[in-house]
Amino acid sequence: MSTRNAKPDVLQGTLDLMVLRTLEAMGPQHGFGLAKRIQQISAGALELNQGTLYPALLRLEQRGWISSSWGASDKNRRAKFYELTRTGRKQIARETDDWERTVALMDRFLRVAE
Amino acid sequence: MRTLWKRLTALFSQRQRDRELSEEVEVHLEMRAAELRQQGLDPGAARAAARREFGGLEQMKEAYRDRRGVPWIEILAKDASYGLRGLRRNPAFTLAAVLSLALGIGANTAIFSFVNTLMLRMLPVEKPEQLVNLYRTGGWGKGYASYPLYLEFRKHTDLFTGVFGRSGADKVRFDAGHSNSVDYVQLEYVTGNYFDVLGVRPAIGRLFTDEDNRTPQAHPLVVLSYDFWRNRLALDPAVLGRVLSVDERLLTVIGVAAPGFHGVEVETHADLWAPAMMCRGEILQPGMHWLWIMARGRPDVPRSRVQAAANTIMQQFLMSVYGGQRESAFGKWALAQKIEVRDAGVGISMLRDAFGKPLTILMAAVGLVLLIACANVANLLIARGAARRREIAMRFSLGATRWRLVRQWLIESLLLALLGSVLGLAFAIWGERYMLLFLPPGAGERFEVAPDATVLGFTLGISILSAVLFGLAPALRATSLDPAAALKDGGARQPGRGARAGFRKALVVMQVALSVVLVAAAGLFAHSLAGLRSINPGFAAQNVATFSLDYPRAWKGADKQKHRDRLLEGLAALPGIASISYGAPGPYRGGSWSAEIRVPGSTRTAREGVEIDEQGVGPAYFETIGVRPLMGREFSQADLRATRKIAVVNEAFVREFLPGTQDPTGRILSFDDSKPEGGEPTYIVGLVRDILHEGLKTPAKSTVYVPYHAADITFDPTLLVRAQLPPAALLSAIRRELGQIDPEVALVEPRTLRERVDDSIFVDRMIATLSGFFGALALLLAAIGIYGVMAYSVTRRTAEIGLRIALGAAPAKIAWMVLRDGLLLIALGVAIGLPLSLAAGRISASLLYGVKPNDPSTFILTIAVLLGVGVLAALLPARRAAAVEPIEALRHE
Repeated sequence: MSTRNAKPDVLQGTLDLMVLRTLEAMGPQHGFGLAKRIQQISAGALELNQGTLYPALLRLEQRGWISSSWGASDKNRRAKFYELTRTGRKQIARETDDWERTVALMDRFLRVAE
Repeated sequence: MRTLWKRLTALFSQRQRDRELSEEVEVHLEMRAAELRQQGLDPGAARAAARREFGGLEQMKEAYRDRRGVPWIEILAKDASYGLRGLRRNPAFTLAAVLSLALGIGANTAIFSFVNTLMLRMLPVEKPEQLVNLYRTGGWGKGYASYPLYLEFRKHTDLFTGVFGRSGADKVRFDAGHSNSVDYVQLEYVTGNYFDVLGVRPAIGRLFTDEDNRTPQAHPLVVLSYDFWRNRLALDPAVLGRVLSVDERLLTVIGVAAPGFHGVEVETHADLWAPAMMCRGEILQPGMHWLWIMARGRPDVPRSRVQAAANTIMQQFLMSVYGGQRESAFGKWALAQKIEVRDAGVGISMLRDAFGKPLTILMAAVGLVLLIACANVANLLIARGAARRREIAMRFSLGATRWRLVRQWLIESLLLALLGSVLGLAFAIWGERYMLLFLPPGAGERFEVAPDATVLGFTLGISILSAVLFGLAPALRATSLDPAAALKDGGARQPGRGARAGFRKALVVMQVALSVVLVAAAGLFAHSLAGLRSINPGFAAQNVATFSLDYPRAWKGADKQKHRDRLLEGLAALPGIASISYGAPGPYRGGSWSAEIRVPGSTRTAREGVEIDEQGVGPAYFETIGVRPLMGREFSQADLRATRKIAVVNEAFVREFLPGTQDPTGRILSFDDSKPEGGEPTYIVGLVRDILHEGLKTPAKSTVYVPYHAADITFDPTLLVRAQLPPAALLSAIRRELGQIDPEVALVEPRTLRERVDDSIFVDRMIATLSGFFGALALLLAAIGIYGVMAYSVTRRTAEIGLRIALGAAPAKIAWMVLRDGLLLIALGVAIGLPLSLAAGRISASLLYGVKPNDPSTFILTIAVLLGVGVLAALLPARRAAAVEPIEALRHE
């Protein structure tokens, strides 16, 4: 018996969007660069285990939103680079819409509660 | 979809992916450590910090792997292995369920294999669905037609893109030049466009064209089937241009047909093809029917139009041939012929014509058997579900969803079904062999029934279907419980037990109802077969062996007679042989010979000649088949030399032509029917009883027996030997004798007379045997079902029964209480099943001989059998109920 799929992860959706947006802003990037950048932007507000990034990257790649290839880093070290695909770009627009709608909705609820 | 693909491919490159991930992580850690070192940390600390920030490495890898793999496949595998463990833990349950299913699935697979081979499998040719058979009916025989009719249809290119003809595939002598014994192959004569219209290509060499089929006897060419080329000539490419002796003629090989093509007949495969013009006999005569006409229809012309046009073409053709005789009986008969446009994409099959309907009925019967088996397994599963309530409740409390548990159950059901179908396939293969034994040897040359991809797909399909059928309801039931309550009472009691027991009882009622249908059908078919068996064929079939002889083509009638006389003389001298003779057509050879006669003094033939059956027989023919003449005598050796024409007639003859005559001997008849009083007289010397020569279902016609040598019957007689020897010993004695006289003469179709009688009713025997088997199977399964439900209900009611006994109920009364419950279920099932079986009887009416589809005795017997079996099945639980110890029962509560 397994329940590993049953746990919904709130962070998952947001992490996906963060990765996609970061790639959109920075262009091709390796895992470490992405992790660093996300932490910089969140300005310490996000306690991110860097390791969780990799399953997320795999998931995005499986969905066809990003692609990966091995290349050389700025310090001339072999590293795996991630890049946004065309469908990934479309997905950013879609998820941004969703996200904004959710935020607006929650916003309304929070106001009513006051 | 793409995701799934990536995940699936990932399954196969597991190790490399793992390495890549490790490398990626290593790069990450190294980059971070380098940063930290720049900030002044020592290498060890930098490395440790990088690891800390990264988080649980193994956890991440695990998550990554899960994501990468195909979770549902893994879950499925887990569910399956869990299910298998469960099945292993409960071997009695598993065995009962798998066996029930295997019998049901096996029976379905076996019958379906036949249906598939005979009725579904398309010919391996181009667009087989366009092919039609122009099937002739009426007049002489059925199916095959004449060469001129083929030419007529060929003109109609508005209906067909191509019309071709073929003879049946016949056994002929073959000599590859290196064998001493007589060897045979299956030869088929085909029109020049045969391969072209079918769209069959050569494997090597070339195939026939119309140029190869222009002039009678002028195209000594042959095309080989691929199988023949492989099996007999070892795929020798030098075969092209070689000359083979086929049917005692030399034919030059011009090509080999594509692999897999054996001709257009299902049960008879051709080894060789020769041009139609090479066929012997009056092949161009419009009255000579020897060609199956087939055509490729135009896709844009509807079938109804083809049929209408074929009717017109046939009428015009018949008028052009027989128009002048349209006033005579013969002309009317000939003009009544019709053409039936039949689908031929699945090939031509005479076996299908005889056997198609019985197969369809058997298919329905095995469908019912499978339903009954499914009901049994569902019942077992429900009982098991009750026993597993605690486990289910536990898993619910641990957070499993209902869907998850239902899926687990269905997977278990599927496992059962798959195990059942594997065992069922074994049963099916055995069953197919058994069924093939019923077929007469002449029914097909290389007729094979074996599970192919379609059959395996069918088996898999029905096993999945039955898994859902028997698995879903129990799964939904077992998982619809209140976990808290179930855990508390330890699964001992049933929630909503009324509904649950009701469902199980409904299943049993259904089983009984379906069993009634199968048992009644079995009864009807058995009754029908018994009726056929009780028919007196007019001869004594015991200890009579029959066989035919195949002579070299060059032999004339006199040569054959000389050989026959020598053989008879030689055999008669052997010990154990009581009597020996010959006759044409002879008994049960599927042939008849007719002639028109006049009987002087008979009003029946006063105006015109009347057709009778003619038999050409040797001396002691009647003695050999155990028939004593009622009046006069049969032919003797002396008659072979007599010039006076003599005959023996049967009782039907006397009834028709000489009514009221006690003793017809001395009366005359004449085969010259030109004058009312006949021409040259034939003297009647004997009277025999009616003998059914053509089959048990064919009533005896007026028959005139004449000495074989004096008859103009063109085919060779069947030899008959009455002997006290076992058939095998007799056969080897005959072969020995034959070899001594002339090794060029071959013995063909040896069969005891009893076997020939059996062969003539093989469909009846097969359907009676199989439906009897399926009926018994249904009864057994239903009995198990009844027993299961009653036993379960007694267990459940132990406390109540204990209380009743404690309060003074007599054990007999308790037993009756349980028995009555069982009888009620059976009565209900019978009430539902009876109308169903009456309907089933009506559907199979055409297969019944001498018994009405609503035969009351069969139905009364069916009800009695079901009640009997039901009482037996319920008796055990009833006795157990009566033996309940009140104290025990109450304490248990």
